[in-house]
Amino acid sequence: MSIATISAVTEEQIAQVRAANPRAFNTVWDQVKRWGWLFAAVVYLIWSMWFFEFGKLIEASDRAWALLRAFVVWEDMAEWQYRNIYIGIAQTLAMAFLGTLLGTLGSLIIGFCAARNVNPFGWLRQIVRRFLDILRGIDQLVWGLVFVRAVGLGPLAGVLAIFVSDLGTLSKLYSEAIENVDQKQVEGVKATGAGPLAVIRYGYIPQVLPVFISQSLYFWESNTRSATILGIVGAGGIGMIIIERFRASLYDQVAFVVLNILVIIFFIDWLSKRIRLWAIGEQRD
Amino acid sequence: MLKLEQLTRRFGENTAVSSATLEIPDGQMVGIIGRSGAGKSTLLRLLNRLIDPSDGKIVFGDTDIAQLKGRELRQWRSDCAMIFQQFNLVGRLDVVTNVLTGRLCDMPAWRSLTQIFTPRERAFAIQALDRLGMAHTALQRAETLSGGQQQRVAIARALAQEPKILLADEPIASLDPMNAKIVMDALRDINKQDGITVICNLHTLDTARNYCDRIIGMQDGRIVFDGTPAQLTNQMAREIYGAEADEAFNEAATSTSIPTSDSPAVDTAKAIA
Amino acid sequence: MSDATLPGGASAPATGGSAVDVFERHRAELQASKRVMNIFVLLVFLVALALSVWVSDFLPERLAEGIPRIFEYFATIVPDLQGDVLFEGRGDDGRAVPGSLTFWYADFWTYVELIWETILMAITATLLGTAVAYALSFPAAQNLAPARWIYWISRRFLEFCRGVPEILLALLFVFMIGIGPLAGILAIAIHSAGALGKLFAEVNENASSRPIEGITAVGGTWFEKMAYAVTPQVLPNFFSYALLRFEINVRASSIIGFVGAGGIGQELNRVISFYSDDRVLAVLILVVLMVTVIDLISERIRLGYIGRENFK
Repeated sequence: MSIATISAVTEEQIAQVRAANPRAFNTVWDQVKRWGWLFAAVVYLIWSMWFFEFGKLIEASDRAWALLRAFVVWEDMAEWQYRNIYIGIAQTLAMAFLGTLLGTLGSLIIGFCAARNVNPFGWLRQIVRRFLDILRGIDQLVWGLVFVRAVGLGPLAGVLAIFVSDLGTLSKLYSEAIENVDQKQVEGVKATGAGPLAVIRYGYIPQVLPVFISQSLYFWESNTRSATILGIVGAGGIGMIIIERFRASLYDQVAFVVLNILVIIFFIDWLSKRIRLWAIGEQRD
Repeated sequence: MLKLEQLTRRFGENTAVSSATLEIPDGQMVGIIGRSGAGKSTLLRLLNRLIDPSDGKIVFGDTDIAQLKGRELRQWRSDCAMIFQQFNLVGRLDVVTNVLTGRLCDMPAWRSLTQIFTPRERAFAIQALDRLGMAHTALQRAETLSGGQQQRVAIARALAQEPKILLADEPIASLDPMNAKIVMDALRDINKQDGITVICNLHTLDTARNYCDRIIGMQDGRIVFDGTPAQLTNQMAREIYGAEADEAFNEAATSTSIPTSDSPAVDTAKAIA
Repeated sequence: MSDATLPGGASAPATGGSAVDVFERHRAELQASKRVMNIFVLLVFLVALALSVWVSDFLPERLAEGIPRIFEYFATIVPDLQGDVLFEGRGDDGRAVPGSLTFWYADFWTYVELIWETILMAITATLLGTAVAYALSFPAAQNLAPARWIYWISRRFLEFCRGVPEILLALLFVFMIGIGPLAGILAIAIHSAGALGKLFAEVNENASSRPIEGITAVGGTWFEKMAYAVTPQVLPNFFSYALLRFEINVRASSIIGFVGAGGIGQELNRVISFYSDDRVLAVLILVVLMVTVIDLISERIRLGYIGRENFK
């Protein structure tokens, strides 16, 4: 064989190779299989752009500019009622803290009830689990709205909303952690003739505590984020200030508040990382 | 003609390749030997600019390869094909697509990014595979092949590049002796029949003696030997290999073991003494 | 803490008993060294607790007043269904009989339409978000970014998209382009792009460098390296992440209507705020049903796809 170059490949050779390896040459069908899903996605997107009237975006440009301008140009900063803003932020932090704390305490009990290896009653476990599924299936914001209707506007509704939605998620995570414990240690405690509560205290708690702490800290972090928006439905905290000033067209103040929130969220992230490190010596990312 | 002039590459404090000066005429089959860490791999990577030189020149024809950028650099990499110890195929793509990636440099961007290859390109890729006896695997995923088969696919990819020079970085170090022979035979065949310059890093001395027209010995980043296999005396080879001499002289032992897990580096002076 | 509550600890089986023993002793040592810190943290905790209770009005009298009202409220959202007329259809005059399912779900087809809209919103937002995340995941991966500053900009951009809560973005978009699902789609798409972009970039950072080196060596451009060497490696992971995100987005688009950004949330907000109490449960049941069904389907697809990938 002499030097093989692509330009030297004759039509006959192509036909020959093609006859010998027909599957190595893409048919139209192969191309359809490869690009079909992408094509379908693009067609869907174009259709949905029509369906959801993406054209409105073009008309919105002056309002968008006005909004952006208001975000950047801050006016009358002396009259911004900072007191209200910082009370709102304090409420947000308090809501997240209390909600997570209550959720953790509640989940400690419910988590043990939902764990297969602790709760011997199958029917009770099933009831608890279905109940948790319902709590989880409904969004925190919906709970917020429901509690606002029930106990009125304000942070109490927010605390309850965080508590209830955490109960659903944390209990499930806790019960999974409990189901994953090393049974040898539990058997060791049981073999001493300890009662059921002592078994939980000495057999399970030492093993699951680090997981519990880590999960609860993580939830505290994410609840601080979600507590900022719970106020949008009236459940207290800084979200109420945002929506109130937004409705009053005070966009520069909204931007100021959002900036404050971002700073606080970063701070809480950092703090939670430090606490986690201190409490269980775990290094996450 | 490929010329290296005072080619140097430093990594921080270490000098991996130090003032390498060489002339390699077209169509030669060159083996580079030396201990692990002698700078063989760095030298090869400098040649097709996977690593940028710190100093010196690489001249091919009239162009200084060390200065190339962008489109011209990619063209050079395409002209100067590379085969790796670990094959570096895309495991999740089928074999023929892997070979077709050798054509990327000559394809318009819209075609390469949508993976549309012409029948001519496909035929050429299959011919290259066929030459290595791998055409029957064309539609398999590359990761399902054995090491020896993957290395042959990698050679087919290199052929699809229509290279002027073929670099092989420890091509047989991860292979068993039988596959090692198939791969080395293929490289020599390409060198003899197509007249492509082959520059090959080899860990074992026997392989280098059997296959290469010319042997270059490296030690601590410097070229310490340059000559025909006949000129390479056992004494010389022992000096080049140092502590790894026994291993290097015994091809059966090293070709089947993976040199990255080689014996720990030993003080050169002690080894020569 | 003391061993007094563990009678007969010495007779415990060697493996389990000693493991617990060692664990407890170890813990006791650790705690002794940390005691001062513990007391300090406890104090901080108590102060934070007291402040939180005070700030958020979580006071006994408010609770005593509020908690009964919660149960009262939950009692009002239960519809007043009556067994004898439960399956009655509409009468000749087109009116449903109070106490029948038809009466409870009088707006059933409106809900179905809104749920359909919600799912479409989630699909569109996920597709848009995934497309942006895919494009940005390469420059935002440390090992692939063509230049340091491109990496930095892509990372910060993704962080910004992820950082602002969806509902806040939706609020802004509703102001800019008016009430309707488009605002919700854009908000969710932006948030998805940020969240997925970060995950995708992490997957990219774990991709094997060998195929990339291989494509570099054949003279491939940066785009060709991404398309041929990286994409085949990471696509299965991207796919499951995108599907998981779709599940999250279905939930998000069901509530984003609270600020007027379309979907079933708008109806939910309306029925809760306008005291149509029995309708609240009607809508909530449908929402939970939708979320559950979508989760099941998505899980099936994910398992099916991963299974197929592994056996290929």
